[in-house]
Amino acid sequence: MSESIDIFRQRARTWLEANVPSEKTPLEGAPLRDYVLAWQQAQARGGWAGLAWPRQHGGCGLSVLELIVWFEEYARAKAPPVLDASFVGLNHAGPTLIACGTEEQKAFHLPQLLEGRAIWCQGFSEPGSGSDLASLRTRGVVDGDHLVVNGQKIWTSFADIADWQELLVRTDPDAKTSGALSWVICPMDTPGITVRPIQTMAGAHKYCEVFYDDVRIPLSNVVGGLHNGWATAMATLGFERGTASLGIIIANALKVDEMLGDCPTSRPQMRARLAQLCVDAAAVRAMAYRLALDSEEGVPDARGSMVRLAFAELAQRISAAAIDLYGVASPQVAGHHGWGHEYLDAFSETIAGGTAEIQRNIIGERVLGLPRGPR
Amino acid sequence: MNYELNGDQAGILAGLDQLLAAHAEVASGEAENYFHGARLDAALAEAGFLDIDRIDGFGSLDAALVVERLARLPQVVEAGASALIAPLLPSEPGIRPLALVSGEANRPARFLPVAKQLLVLRDGDALLVSLDGSTIEPVESLMAYPYGKLSSLDGLTVQSLDNAADIRRRWRIALAAEAAGCMAAALEIVIEHVRTRQAFGRPLGAFQAIQHRLAMAEETAQSAKWLAFRAAWSDGEADAAIAAGFVQERIARFTYDLHQFSGAMGLTLEFPLHLWTYRLRALAGELGGASTQARAAAQAVWGAA
Repeated sequence: MSESIDIFRQRARTWLEANVPSEKTPLEGAPLRDYVLAWQQAQARGGWAGLAWPRQHGGCGLSVLELIVWFEEYARAKAPPVLDASFVGLNHAGPTLIACGTEEQKAFHLPQLLEGRAIWCQGFSEPGSGSDLASLRTRGVVDGDHLVVNGQKIWTSFADIADWQELLVRTDPDAKTSGALSWVICPMDTPGITVRPIQTMAGAHKYCEVFYDDVRIPLSNVVGGLHNGWATAMATLGFERGTASLGIIIANALKVDEMLGDCPTSRPQMRARLAQLCVDAAAVRAMAYRLALDSEEGVPDARGSMVRLAFAELAQRISAAAIDLYGVASPQVAGHHGWGHEYLDAFSETIAGGTAEIQRNIIGERVLGLPRGPR
Repeated sequence: MNYELNGDQAGILAGLDQLLAAHAEVASGEAENYFHGARLDAALAEAGFLDIDRIDGFGSLDAALVVERLARLPQVVEAGASALIAPLLPSEPGIRPLALVSGEANRPARFLPVAKQLLVLRDGDALLVSLDGSTIEPVESLMAYPYGKLSSLDGLTVQSLDNAADIRRRWRIALAAEAAGCMAAALEIVIEHVRTRQAFGRPLGAFQAIQHRLAMAEETAQSAKWLAFRAAWSDGEADAAIAAGFVQERIARFTYDLHQFSGAMGLTLEFPLHLWTYRLRALAGELGGASTQARAAAQAVWGAA
């Protein structure tokens, strides 16, 4: 480490205080895209792009401890939410390309991601194939030096503003899952792609359906080898269940602190409830820090599911408590940056990125070593 | 308490269902946070279903049956306050919808933008406010009801009422009955979904982890219903506080489970589940929430500590 962690913290704090945008994140569409890219560009100019990425790929190569400190300061400065339109690119696609991509793929895409010039989305889930990823049906047929893709994806966050998609398609219909899928870089402006935003109960058009009608994607866009997409995808999901959540976990813990500060002493039961949430947040944070520090080298293991499960359910309890604290129709709850939106959005926490049931299965089978249940 | 409907009650519900059949459809393809059933509201009022507690031979249980049934509809109508609280007020029948607020008069209240009267429940008394000439500010809320708040009481006709305890008791019964109806409707949708939706080659409902939690959801919905009806029947302090407190305490778990098993589809406005879960969330916070009702129940059952 080239500087002490205290000096690093001060450097991060000073930069964030001077650079965090004062405007809140726009709800959707072009304003959201512009905002997210501008924030990434600012971070790149400040030398804070690709925090966890290795230096040889243009990242900061931060140690896990430095990452933790960064996210603590990031949350403290109320910087834009980590889980936003830049999340898939910086936390899934980029790391997957680093791990499995060709030199050409890396040289083209990694700088775009770091410098805030491209937004990525994820095309994994399909209608009828959410938790059961192995059952996905979107087909990719090799035709010369292209894959021709037909099918449908759903729950693709930010597909309407993305340039690229990490797309999982079935390229060998006869093989078992481990040899049937391919992980492809899909340019979202390819003819034959139709994006339809889905209106959710939380208000914003965050999720989309994506339809593929004879979409021709160069074979050179396959990552990790044709028919080897399952292994490539598993590496990606490993990131989602691991260190990528640190920023969200820390931000949630600070929100509970704020709520406690807002809770009058005349409401002892609410104070006790919030205090319990503080305890829960500390527990999740401790587990996440431990896991992150343990996985300093390589892909996080199945214990990431414990962190994912714990912080997802905690996020739901926090937003429910916030509504009870402030009142259903209070200014703190109203509006698209209020707790009401957060509460309704938090329902997706235990569904997206592997449902709470799937996480429990993973913990049971891969952490505890229990026999695999019927599926 | 007899758990079977008597002939009159069965007749009321059959008549209500007949009326509702003409209003069952929410325009398909519309994706809204909620649908305020203005036309249905007028039809219900005209047919007298919301005045049933005032009719000889009928009472608060019959009113609660109507409120519970109406809460199962996709559209919202103000029924609980009109059916169960309005009969306690000095005003003439039919001056409705009636909005309710506890504490300060200018706090946000459900149905206030469409209401004719506002009832302000305070610690020791209540105020009945005629909304003629009032200014109502709409309040933005995701919680599936028209919300608004009163700008000022100045210039409005305000009556002071001394039956605050009776009003609070009926409010608890009304919210319990409404929440029970919302739970029944929401659960029905999810049961149908897990019967048909497949994962790993089986219907979702075949997985034990899902069955177990939906079994608890059914227990919650049934308990909520019978506690609400019991409270409406006895019209007692303890029963009312228990019914409201029970359902408020269960709402968070219940709605999370229902959404969880509806998957991402359940989070969209295309899937109707949100119409009831939004409402349940709003009801969970009324009258101080579950802990306030629990203390009231303890007070009613055991007296001062």
